[in-house]
Amino acid sequence: MSSPDALLRIEGVRKAFPGVVALDDVDFDLRRGEVHALLGENGAGKSTLIKVLSGAHRPDRGRLLMESAEVDIRDAQDAERLGIATIYQEFNLVPDITVAENIFLGRQPRRFGFIDHRRMESEAAALLDRVGVDVSPRAKVRGLGIARLQMVEIAKALSLDARVLIMDEPTAVLTTGEVERLFAIARRLRDEGVGIVFITHHLEEIAALADRVTVLRDGRSVAHVDASTPEDELVRLMVGRSIEEQYPRERSDVGGPLLRVHGLTRAGHFEDVTLEVHAGEVVGLAGLVGAGRTEVARSVFGADPYDAGTVEVLDRPLPGGDVNAAMNAGLGLVPEDRKGQGLVLDASVEENLGLVTLGPTSRAGFVDLPGQRASAARIAADLGVRMSSIAQHVRTLSGGNQQKVVIGKWLSADSRVLILDEPTRGVDAGAKVEIYRLVNELTASGHAVLMISSDLPEVLGMSDRILVMAQGRVTGELSAEDATQDAVMSLAVAVGPRSTTEENGVEGHHGH
Amino acid sequence: MATDTDKNGGVGSTVRRFLLENGALTALAILVVVMSLLSDDFLTAQNLLNVGVQAAVIAVLAFGVTFVIIAGGIDLSVGSVAALSATVLAFLATVEGVPVWLALPLAAATGTACGLVNGVLIAYGKLPPFIATLAMLSIGRGLSLVLSEGSPIALPDSVARLGTSLGGWLPVPVLIMLVMGLITAVILRRTFAGRAMYAIGGNEEAARLSGIRVKRHKLGIYALSGLFAAVAGVILASRLASAQPQAAQGYELDAIAAVVIGGASLAGGVGTAFGTLVGALILAVLRNGLNLLSVSAFWQQVVIGVVIALAVLFDTLRRRSGGAGAGAGSAGRRGRRGLQLGIAAAVTAVVVGALSFLVPNSSSDGPRVGLSLSTLNNPFFLQMRDGAQAEADEAGVNLIVTDAQDDASQQADQIQNFISTGVDAMVINPVDSDAAGPPVRGANNADIPVVAADRGVTEADVETLVASDNVEGGRLAARALAEELGEEGRIAVLQGVPGTSASRERGSGFEEGIAEYPDIEVVAQQPADFDRSKGLDVMTNMLQGNGDIDGVFAENDEMALGAAAALSSRGEEAVVIGFDGTPEGLEAVADGVLHASIAQQPAELGRVAVRNAVAAANGEGLEETVMVPVEVVTEGNVADFD
Repeated sequence: MSSPDALLRIEGVRKAFPGVVALDDVDFDLRRGEVHALLGENGAGKSTLIKVLSGAHRPDRGRLLMESAEVDIRDAQDAERLGIATIYQEFNLVPDITVAENIFLGRQPRRFGFIDHRRMESEAAALLDRVGVDVSPRAKVRGLGIARLQMVEIAKALSLDARVLIMDEPTAVLTTGEVERLFAIARRLRDEGVGIVFITHHLEEIAALADRVTVLRDGRSVAHVDASTPEDELVRLMVGRSIEEQYPRERSDVGGPLLRVHGLTRAGHFEDVTLEVHAGEVVGLAGLVGAGRTEVARSVFGADPYDAGTVEVLDRPLPGGDVNAAMNAGLGLVPEDRKGQGLVLDASVEENLGLVTLGPTSRAGFVDLPGQRASAARIAADLGVRMSSIAQHVRTLSGGNQQKVVIGKWLSADSRVLILDEPTRGVDAGAKVEIYRLVNELTASGHAVLMISSDLPEVLGMSDRILVMAQGRVTGELSAEDATQDAVMSLAVAVGPRSTTEENGVEGHHGH
Repeated sequence: MATDTDKNGGVGSTVRRFLLENGALTALAILVVVMSLLSDDFLTAQNLLNVGVQAAVIAVLAFGVTFVIIAGGIDLSVGSVAALSATVLAFLATVEGVPVWLALPLAAATGTACGLVNGVLIAYGKLPPFIATLAMLSIGRGLSLVLSEGSPIALPDSVARLGTSLGGWLPVPVLIMLVMGLITAVILRRTFAGRAMYAIGGNEEAARLSGIRVKRHKLGIYALSGLFAAVAGVILASRLASAQPQAAQGYELDAIAAVVIGGASLAGGVGTAFGTLVGALILAVLRNGLNLLSVSAFWQQVVIGVVIALAVLFDTLRRRSGGAGAGAGSAGRRGRRGLQLGIAAAVTAVVVGALSFLVPNSSSDGPRVGLSLSTLNNPFFLQMRDGAQAEADEAGVNLIVTDAQDDASQQADQIQNFISTGVDAMVINPVDSDAAGPPVRGANNADIPVVAADRGVTEADVETLVASDNVEGGRLAARALAEELGEEGRIAVLQGVPGTSASRERGSGFEEGIAEYPDIEVVAQQPADFDRSKGLDVMTNMLQGNGDIDGVFAENDEMALGAAAALSSRGEEAVVIGFDGTPEGLEAVADGVLHASIAQQPAELGRVAVRNAVAAANGEGLEETVMVPVEVVTEGNVADFD
């Protein structure tokens, strides 16, 4: 079925990581001059797939064909040679050099061994003009807004004569107006014959931009459908099972308030945030990336300072910016960046589980080693951490087991209120359910949980109440019964007073 | 970090596994075996104790640095802080008459305070540790020079006893090293502060979010490093019976090397007290062994560098091939072991091969004479060595030359090693007269005759002192300069390394001499450390700051040549007089670049010293001092000098 327009094709690709099969028998094809959307839940394998295409990962099995010729993409250089350019969510730009230098980084035009600035800047100007962005090639990248950074990335991709352009959730961080502009550029490139792979969580963007859709679920390509497929059908393909099976939330009796946040404000990050979490309750904090949820969590926990407002735990006020006071009052934070902020990767499971209790249990400065060991062993067993021994380095555990260790660290400290920031990101489906069960047990025993998650079905499935944030403010509260994806999303894109975005044609985004 | 011990196998395999899991220990074992094979003097109880003493200062400094490196930082200031603490101790006890029981804690407090300043700058001032401690390196050194006015200060006997032995055999420095090592191990393994260091070094943000007060801990960590540096400084000074403001220069790098050889990671989170001890011992065994083997002083540095790189490479490969603690299968373990043994064999082959190539094949049966030079980084001492070598060759003497690199403590080690190898006599060219006392007393006890060359040795018996008269030379320089200037004008003085006796004596002779000419004004007087490029910079600055200068006295020819270059680059002229009469200096005199040099005769010095050492070894009586004449060399008589 190879059509003359076939550009890129992958067949039966498999990629496994220790403990997880990320891709299994995945097929995908891209034609010249089309926008092909990749759709799937978090952890479905979209990121792994684009990393295979960009040379960051090598598949264990399967074939890659470029214009019907089998190719081997070993590294980023190979991908570049084949004309495949990838724009990740995290941009690959050097902040303190100019736009032109970033576009031609490593390939600057040279004359007599010196960089030919004039030629570089005029070529950069032409590229920037082609993507229709008003940025001087001589401007430093630091200080450009996120939308412009993205345009610079696209210009860089064009400078490489990219025939395949892969964009990983390019709209997640853009305002509606910026999304429209991005789409205009994408359509123009499509008309010029570029094949675009487009990852998004917003179903209505598929109808607006894409031609075809490939749906990934649990590492498999489950469907190749036309972009005009109804959204309900797309959701069914993506989820593949009922929400109830995935999210075994058991409600517990709700007690008195354990955590009370009132009018919390940190200039430039969030404003006037008020929330309450009761014993036995899971409160979900939903919103788009960048809405300020993580920032609120960090300030509540004392990891960052705040400018105004109060935080009370068990009716006692907490001083701001003091992690120890928060801990002593019974707060625990499972941070979003597990490896960067939650774990000492090259230390053992035992040492990581004991990190919080190390100080409080030591006597005259000496650590209670036997006590630490016993408590770590008990908690690791309770949580079912899969490890060879308690001395195993945390780095070598799978994502789900690492997350259990981070949560376990707070269980050993007997924290009453846990803030879980993206607790299941990068965790495979089986381990997710184990973490949900753990949340159930915690609330059943009178703990309170504040859960930040960008995974809408998770928020809907696990929360007793849902708070939605947008642009640093709480824009609404929904009970578990009233909450739907539409309701949450319309609050998540609610326009704050500082925004200048026009809201034409947006009738509530859909997640997944 | 904690590695799980295996369950199978007997004692033999346990030992083997232990060696294999501690890469540095394997390297140390290999080194000891190699040294014992190559030198009969190495594996004796006395020499092993010597190695312990020679390792003590670096080891104690390195224990302190271990805390810092485990916590992900770096401390470059420990050498300076050690010198400063020792200077404070000597200053208080000797100059101010403070009782020793009070002066010692005050010295410790000095080190701790320096560490605290580092900690404040790093934790609260957010300076990178490299920069903060680099600043303290300079501040500490400067303060110790200020306090001591550049001269060594003698220590009271009660403190100097810390540098000797208990019960006649157990050296106190070794004891202190072991105690400090034990303290380090207990802190690291058993205390909250120690475990917090690993957490902070492993992941600072995770540690902070787990309630570890990172800033406060950093203060403590750097203070601890400062305290350990103070202890090291006291050991160093007590061995030499005097506090040297210039002591322990560059020791911070040895300390960091010891920590890293011991398996710590500069990225933080990894390291042990035991590893650091092994690292310090590797450095000490190398220096000691190379001395015993009479490897050329220049090649010694090359060998030390190569061994440091190999030791760390070995450890890195070992880790990469296995990774500690990750419970792997036994098949992988066997492959790893093969690789490790292969690497070990390769390292051994390289070390043995290099050493057997470098060790001179001593053939003659004549007497063996050790020559310990203060430095070989200066043509003067090179000529002295050449003269000594020529005399030795003529007399059929086996001459062993060592280079103390201007470090009194290294010189003490080298003298100790001469005693171990049982030389028949030694010629000592002291880095510092006071500091050479204790090691030379060791030679006295071993009945080995000692000849002092160029500089004297305080409080020890030497058969004779062979020297040029530096004070007289300073006077001669003053007279020659005054006469050329017509007894009036503005002059500048470039001084040598502050605190060295050559600088002091030449300076005082010159000062005395120039005082007789009231119309000559000394407008500037700055140290340029006997170094040509520093002489150039300092002279340039002086010209900038003082305007016209008519004459310059430099305390050696190197600085004089630097000063002449500074003058000519600014198109200015002045009468420049140097000191030493080195070949380049004399050439410059012949060309009129320098007006004069006070010529010592270094080759003659070396020749006479060896001749006297041989006579002393044969039991002949000698005169108390043998003066090798100095002369003013000008364009008129330069042809008479070679």
